Amino acid sequence: MNYLIHNVEIIDKHSEFNRQRKSILIENGVITQISDISPTQSTDHLTVISGQNLQISVGWFDMRASFCDPGFEYKETLTTGCNAAQAGGFTEVAVLPNTQPVIQTKNELAYLKSHNLRHLVQIYPIAAVSVNAEGKELTEMLDLHTHGAVAFSDGIQPVWHSDILVKTLQYLQKFDGLLINRPEDLMLTRFGTMNEGVSSTMLGLKGMPALAEEMMIRRDLDFLAYAGGKIHFSAISSARSVQLIRAAKAQGLQVSCDVAAHQIAIDDAALMSFDSFLKVNPPFRGKADIEALLEGLQDGTIDVVVSDHRPQDEESKNLEFDLAEFGALGLETAFGVLNTFGKKHLSLEDKIDKLTFRPRQILNLPQAHIKVGEEANLTLFDAQQEWTVETKYIQSKSKNSPFLGTTLTGKPVAVFSGAQTNWQEKN
Amino acid sequence: MRHLLGIKDISKNDIERIFEMASHFKDVINRPIKKVPSLRDITIANVFFENSTRTKLSFELAEKRLSADVVNFSASGSSVKKGETLLDTVNNILAMKVDMVVMRHSSVGAAHYLSKRVNARIVNAGDGTHEHPTQALLDSFSVNEKLGGVAGKKVVIVGDILHSRVALSNIFAFQKLGAEVMVCGPITLLPKYIESLGVKVELDVQKALEWCDVANVLRIQLERQQIKYFPSLREYSLYYGIDKARLERLDKEITIMHPGPINRGIELSSDVADSDHAIILDQVENGVAVRMAVLYLLAEGIKP
Repeated sequence: MNYLIHNVEIIDKHSEFNRQRKSILIENGVITQISDISPTQSTDHLTVISGQNLQISVGWFDMRASFCDPGFEYKETLTTGCNAAQAGGFTEVAVLPNTQPVIQTKNELAYLKSHNLRHLVQIYPIAAVSVNAEGKELTEMLDLHTHGAVAFSDGIQPVWHSDILVKTLQYLQKFDGLLINRPEDLMLTRFGTMNEGVSSTMLGLKGMPALAEEMMIRRDLDFLAYAGGKIHFSAISSARSVQLIRAAKAQGLQVSCDVAAHQIAIDDAALMSFDSFLKVNPPFRGKADIEALLEGLQDGTIDVVVSDHRPQDEESKNLEFDLAEFGALGLETAFGVLNTFGKKHLSLEDKIDKLTFRPRQILNLPQAHIKVGEEANLTLFDAQQEWTVETKYIQSKSKNSPFLGTTLTGKPVAVFSGAQTNWQEKN
Repeated sequence: MRHLLGIKDISKNDIERIFEMASHFKDVINRPIKKVPSLRDITIANVFFENSTRTKLSFELAEKRLSADVVNFSASGSSVKKGETLLDTVNNILAMKVDMVVMRHSSVGAAHYLSKRVNARIVNAGDGTHEHPTQALLDSFSVNEKLGGVAGKKVVIVGDILHSRVALSNIFAFQKLGAEVMVCGPITLLPKYIESLGVKVELDVQKALEWCDVANVLRIQLERQQIKYFPSLREYSLYYGIDKARLERLDKEITIMHPGPINRGIELSSDVADSDHAIILDQVENGVAVRMAVLYLLAEGIKP
């Protein structure tokens, strides 16, 4: 099947076509024409899609998602995770290694990658830094790199062990590999269930101080200066974290970072309702932190926006607040949330840049382009469409979205990856 | 009021209405016939997922003196965690046609959780380190009774503020009634942002006693501390325990309260606990009257 996406606005700050309305012809999975042509008649071999009111960019890339498979298939499988990604406009997803078993040998990598033959959405495995992500013993990172690990991280666990961290930073330099760390001092967040602040005081809940994140960023930056290599801080959440990373970048350290889309939308006052769908780690912080995160996105301190998709089944969430698991769905709402809550701080092309060019650049992956001769890797979306998040639309196997009932502006319409697409004619 | 989940969620008017009813019920329970038929045909389940002796006894007496039908369920939090969920347990009890649930649970927000999911009146008898509203009501009622009012009085809460649901409910209740509230204890047992609730903070117990009209002394609850917050009970009792000598150094009389059970010789010495300063047993007596008032007011909507 061939597609003509007619009169669509291209959003790509790295392209000469940025903000131009064009018609894009995709034949056998390859972009063959980008022109001002008017639509030809729809034939058996050509589907014409009206791009009126729509935008198109290169396919979106998520750098932080949990697909729970193998091991926790009752929360998410590779297929339901990819379905959720596709519904959220993502063509590629880097998945965290915190499965059962942990992604730490070429066998697990092969399992994840084999799914890529069966789905439009392509999985890029992040392999564990330490055996079982316990932070005590290094995995075979050279071999994992050879067999397709796109980066190294203990995922939802911080690399807490100082020596392991230093050795990882050193070891990865052989192939310019990337360490992704989730900064959290586990001693300071022990027994915590939400941000430490006024709200946690009123609720009598043990807080997780922002200090626990900031201390680890400081520590890791010192280790980076000592050992060399490069580090990416994932899911940062506090104002001081942004400051620390901004300063480190100014000093020329090889550091990058991302923020979860939900982190710029919700503050800890929302926890007064004891809604366990709002229980996430890092926890929702204060309003000043949100403002600082937005400023960090604006000035480029924060490179990437991630979904931090973490599915939890009903039995893990429909519990007393302190017993409920951490995590929120993110893939299907990431763009809508970023577009809605990042409206004042970011242009549309800057938002898209943080979902496309920047993650691929940080992971050292080939960039996608809207260019004649390129294989299609495209996301078609409507940046103006208002929609309300409802359980019935959720493609993920779990339903733990913190945005149920929230109206967002901006919705993906379809993705194209080579000859595959999820485009459907609306009746 | 549909439920009593926390003092945070009720108004000054609600508290005053409860006090009014509690005074009435206090008269009732001091009569030769202590029982009234107010809650006849109302079934109340006391569901306690955490150990309790006095609160459970107090609620049960309050219920029986109002002529309610009473059933009791006790389980430790951990055994429930392994097996049946909280929602399933309570739904099972409600399927037997229970109108009200009095619940104590080790999880913060458990009463709120339940109130959104089951069709019964919920009374929070303590949810983890969050609130213990009937304790705060009986404490403020007792101060009101002893000092002839709460507004303008100075109340210090001494001890483990971090792990105490009594402290948080007391802060909200006394503030709503117009009292000034101070907290005092080792700084590791004070929540970092406690001043944001509008309370004063004092680390020296003698200075706190000099400031206050009422000292509400909390039980040191080692069982609720997951890690060590102070070096030893010995040091705690030396520097934060209240004994006769401390009180004698004051140039005024203050009222001593304690929610019980007392660790004698740790937070309170016996000569203070048994002195005329202490209104600890009045608190216990008022507890029954206050709980009768709460149950009575909540039941108003369900009675045919």
